[in-house]
Amino acid sequence: MQKVLVVEDELPLNQQLTDLLENAGYQAMGVTDGGTAFLAFQDFEPDLVLLDVMLPNKTGIEVCREIRAVSGVPIIMLTAKAEDEDVVDGLEAGADDYILKPMPSFKVLQARIEARLRPLRQPEFTEIILGPLVIDVLGHEVRRDGVRVALTPLEFNLLQTLAEAPKQVFKREDLLKKVWGYHYDADTRLVNVHVQRLRSKIEDDPDNPKIVVTERGVGYKAGQF
Amino acid sequence: MTLTVALSAAALVAVGGFLSLTIGNGLFQTRVEQVLQESKQASAEVQKTFTATGNTDVLALQTLVNEVIPNLEQNTANGSRKVALLRSPNQATNQFLQSPISGDLTVSDIPATLRNQVAKTENKLVYRTIYLEADGVMNQSIVVGSKVVIPVAGDYELYLVYDISDAQETLDFMQSTLAIGGLVMILLLGIVAYFVTRRIVAPVERAAIVAEQLALGSLDKRLPERGQDVVAALARSFNKMAQSLETQIGELSKLSKMQQRFVSDVSHELRTPLTTIKLATEMLEARVEELDPKARRALDTLVSQVARFESLLADLLEISRYDAGAVVAEIEPNNLGDVVSMAVSGLEPLAETLGCELILKLPTRPVDADFDPRRIERVLRNLISNAIEHGAGKPVEIQVGRSKTAVAVTIKDLGVGMSRSQMDRVFDRFWRGDPSRMRTTGGTGLGLAISLEDTHLHQGWLQVTSKPNQGTTFRLTLPRRIGGIFTESPLPLGETLSQRSRI
Repeated sequence: MQKVLVVEDELPLNQQLTDLLENAGYQAMGVTDGGTAFLAFQDFEPDLVLLDVMLPNKTGIEVCREIRAVSGVPIIMLTAKAEDEDVVDGLEAGADDYILKPMPSFKVLQARIEARLRPLRQPEFTEIILGPLVIDVLGHEVRRDGVRVALTPLEFNLLQTLAEAPKQVFKREDLLKKVWGYHYDADTRLVNVHVQRLRSKIEDDPDNPKIVVTERGVGYKAGQF
Repeated sequence: MTLTVALSAAALVAVGGFLSLTIGNGLFQTRVEQVLQESKQASAEVQKTFTATGNTDVLALQTLVNEVIPNLEQNTANGSRKVALLRSPNQATNQFLQSPISGDLTVSDIPATLRNQVAKTENKLVYRTIYLEADGVMNQSIVVGSKVVIPVAGDYELYLVYDISDAQETLDFMQSTLAIGGLVMILLLGIVAYFVTRRIVAPVERAAIVAEQLALGSLDKRLPERGQDVVAALARSFNKMAQSLETQIGELSKLSKMQQRFVSDVSHELRTPLTTIKLATEMLEARVEELDPKARRALDTLVSQVARFESLLADLLEISRYDAGAVVAEIEPNNLGDVVSMAVSGLEPLAETLGCELILKLPTRPVDADFDPRRIERVLRNLISNAIEHGAGKPVEIQVGRSKTAVAVTIKDLGVGMSRSQMDRVFDRFWRGDPSRMRTTGGTGLGLAISLEDTHLHQGWLQVTSKPNQGTTFRLTLPRRIGGIFTESPLPLGETLSQRSRI
């Protein structure tokens, strides 16, 4: 049974979410305080975290950073303000995805959770060499000059998607569909922020990227080596 | 300033002219009186000399004449006096005395009319002004004539000619002094006027410039306050006014921002409880089989009202985003025909429910234009669903048109329509044409207000025309290229036009 940690300070909403998650077949645990969220995470060892932005004692952004420092577990932010810096801050802190309150329905949230928990699709290759990187597809590991680079599952998925079709330019919408599992219009900021995060981990000079290249006006592709 | 100088100059000329005339007359009169006085004395003395002499001898008399008359000649700094003793014509005696006359004087210098006058008068001085030429200059002179009776020889006329050009010189000198003084005065006046005007006008000009800047929104502009004069007082009053304006506008915009923030905050604050209610409702929906019919109906009501609450909240947020100026359109090249078709097909189910036919008229060519497809589709969905709702089950016609500069959509229903006053308020927030009407789509009352904002974001027009019981037509016109100018919509709207547009 997969475990979901719900960090949301509004107790009724927290309870409602955990109830619905349990109904949907997950093992759910609710935390209402930002200050204890990380401890709860370490105790519970969830497969996914639902994280509210506005939390007492510690903001969702800070909690997100704490978790990311030790784990690549999928994190979905819950936020009431789409237009604010919140979203970008959350994504930059390492959240994989976000969902706006009120979400259209629980089913939508469930779909987002499932997309993040879904086992990665059958790999076409067992190992891909992309410039200085060795991508061990089966072992979910990336090594750069023999040194392991810690990527979140989402970042790994993003890199793998680009690396498997080295000549193809992916539109942001394509990536949202392939990597995030969105089948309708979604926020392209998701792609931009995660490409930045990925670059900061694998590129020599993230401002002058060679591995994940921007194709102006279209999207991204893997660099040619 | 020019006027000031011109008026001063005119006044100066008038005063100067009057002065020089008065002084000139005065000078002349004084001189004439002096001349007459002298002449009277001289002629009386001459008469006395001749009366007193007992001589009857012509030679002796001639000698006397030759002694007395030339003595009357004078040549002083005050002017010269010339003399002539002429024999009166037509006398009985034939004793002639030689008539002595000053060297530079001739008989013809004495006017004949004066001679006639002298001949006719007794013991009286007669004078006349004449001009004598000397060294090529005409000098003003006075000729004073009187009768002198000489024993034996009869009546003679004594003429004394006074040169009064010195008086004229004085006058000329005075006049030229006046003229120079006047000119200097006018020049000084001009300079004074220039500085005074500068002192008064320059601050006024500055005030005008600052007022203009204030009007254009630079509320922190002020005038320099120097000194204690009227100008400084003006500057102080002006600055006080500007200060008060700035404070009040600042307060108003603060209030307005607070209000916008409040709406935005309230909307956000409501989202969390709304999410909870929604999720709870979903939980109930999942167990709908366990509920009795009444509870099911209650659940249905809960679901639909929560949905309505949610769309109201979304619209409120959208409007507050517009009010805060935080909306950015994602404008890209699009085909308006596609977007219209999409909106129409999305509303087919609603149209079917209400038994309304949707007629779509598209041009054969693609209607390409730059716009934000998400916003424009929202506008169209809103307009079309309104038309279906108010269309009284009659067909709704949606037409798309294009021109070189603009693209347009008209949505025409044949339903209940609106009165003029209703039409004027149709874009107002939370305004409803008929509050008693049952609303099928559960509109928020903000739909048209948002549609208008979306249209303005594209620099387009959203217009309406309507007649009660005949139907309503909405027309959306957008520029082909963003920022492009258009003056006419590619599609007609109708005769009555309530224009709510911005170019």
